[in-house]
Amino acid sequence: MRDVAIIGAGMIPFGRRDEDGLMDMLAYSSLNALDDAGLGDKSVDAVYVASMGAGILQHQTAVASALVDRLSLLPAAAEMIENGPASGGSAVKMGLLAVASGYYDTVLVVGGEKMRDVTGWRATDFVATLTHPLAEYIYGVTLPGMAGMFTRLYMEKYGVTREHLVQVAIKNQKMGALNPYAHVEMIITQEGIMDSPHSVVNNPPVADPLRLYDACPVSDGAAAVVLCPLDMVKNAKKPPILIAGFGQATDTHTLQEREDPTDLKAVTLAAKQALEMAKLKPSDIHVAELHDAFTILEIAESEHVGFFKKGEGGKAVAEGKTQLGGTIPINVSGGLKARGHPVGATGVAQVVETVWQLRHEVGKERQVKGAKTGLTVNFGGFGNNVVAFALKRVNQ
Amino acid sequence: MNEIPVVAHKCKNCGKIHYPFHDRCMNCKAREFEATKLEGNAKLLTFTQIFNLPWGFDQRFLIIGVAEFENGVKAMGQIAADSIDGLSLGMKMKALWKPVRVQAGEKVYGLMFEPIQ
Repeated sequence: MRDVAIIGAGMIPFGRRDEDGLMDMLAYSSLNALDDAGLGDKSVDAVYVASMGAGILQHQTAVASALVDRLSLLPAAAEMIENGPASGGSAVKMGLLAVASGYYDTVLVVGGEKMRDVTGWRATDFVATLTHPLAEYIYGVTLPGMAGMFTRLYMEKYGVTREHLVQVAIKNQKMGALNPYAHVEMIITQEGIMDSPHSVVNNPPVADPLRLYDACPVSDGAAAVVLCPLDMVKNAKKPPILIAGFGQATDTHTLQEREDPTDLKAVTLAAKQALEMAKLKPSDIHVAELHDAFTILEIAESEHVGFFKKGEGGKAVAEGKTQLGGTIPINVSGGLKARGHPVGATGVAQVVETVWQLRHEVGKERQVKGAKTGLTVNFGGFGNNVVAFALKRVNQ
Repeated sequence: MNEIPVVAHKCKNCGKIHYPFHDRCMNCKAREFEATKLEGNAKLLTFTQIFNLPWGFDQRFLIIGVAEFENGVKAMGQIAADSIDGLSLGMKMKALWKPVRVQAGEKVYGLMFEPIQ
């Protein structure tokens, strides 16, 4: 297998993009990545496109075929990947395997989602279609609902407190306010969302015990990367970023069939595989993008990937260990919580952000000083399909 | 309890109970199962009150939980309560088979848990 490098990374600002359709966003982020790779007027061998909802929300199928045509990348091979909220991570993995195998040399991977075309009711229902149709979906359970039930158990078992959750929200929105690609660029305070009498109005319950500021926003957005074999990178203007390891694991479809529903086995396994392949330990990681669709998930994932022992993730946030300048900065992009969560884009966006961090390109306000290694975790379903990547900066 | 048509699946080889259905046993990979009814009352394992409802629900909120029946079957259902204030982990619930939503004008039946006072 060949070592695979990321030579181009592109994104468009996430948020409510009323002026753009899904195809526009996929095209713009693809062009940004191709330009970044110095391939703005060149072809690629294959294109992998991630979207969870194009068929449901836009009533459009075969989006990958449409995108290669729009980008004049014909006759490149084109594939569509739908793997729930892990679609983006899966698409990067498919591109990685295609290049590593030696079959393709240059691959474009792009993920996008247009979720604000529909009402909140419809968007919530669309994401809920990933639950079990008969054992879960019919009851009206939503992803915030699944997270609420998980949070109740995690609080009970590990002593995570409301203050811990609030600290994740404050940290990530503070970083989002510094990220020009973030959907939410608003700094919040503990007084505003927890301590003051107004917090009841500012931060209403969404799925008890989770409140509004525990959840990511519903966003439009897209992100893209360009991959090629590391040994074909010559005289690059920017340091290539090696995909040093990847991992993917699955877990039961329903939460209730897990022996211990607080144990996110797929997160543990995917991260372990990625780190072992990269010959890294959790303590070797300089910057991490974890899938904080809900604040509890950043805490739980930080423990499951091995940054902290079980039950210590909440305290670590409160002690500032996960903020910029801490022992392991997590979601210095703002994470899903502030950058937003256009579901098909998220796994790719995590990789793009980490590439920028490892190239030292994000600006000093958000830059993890001297970062050379990164970990991403893209969490599909409610932890039933997880994709992780370990990335390394390569100095040429 | 009114008759609940939910069926769990007990592996004929190792006895592991599955709900929902799997084509192979999660434990031993065997393919033969014995249909198993939900037995007795249920213990509430976790719950939430959802305020941002999906399309198809015309109400203020939903209370949803997962409960474990006396024969080990764990299942999700709606909880018949005005609020979550009276709910606690481990409390006993009675299971009923009631309409849980309306789709295309038709009532859809499912598990409804009622707290046992």
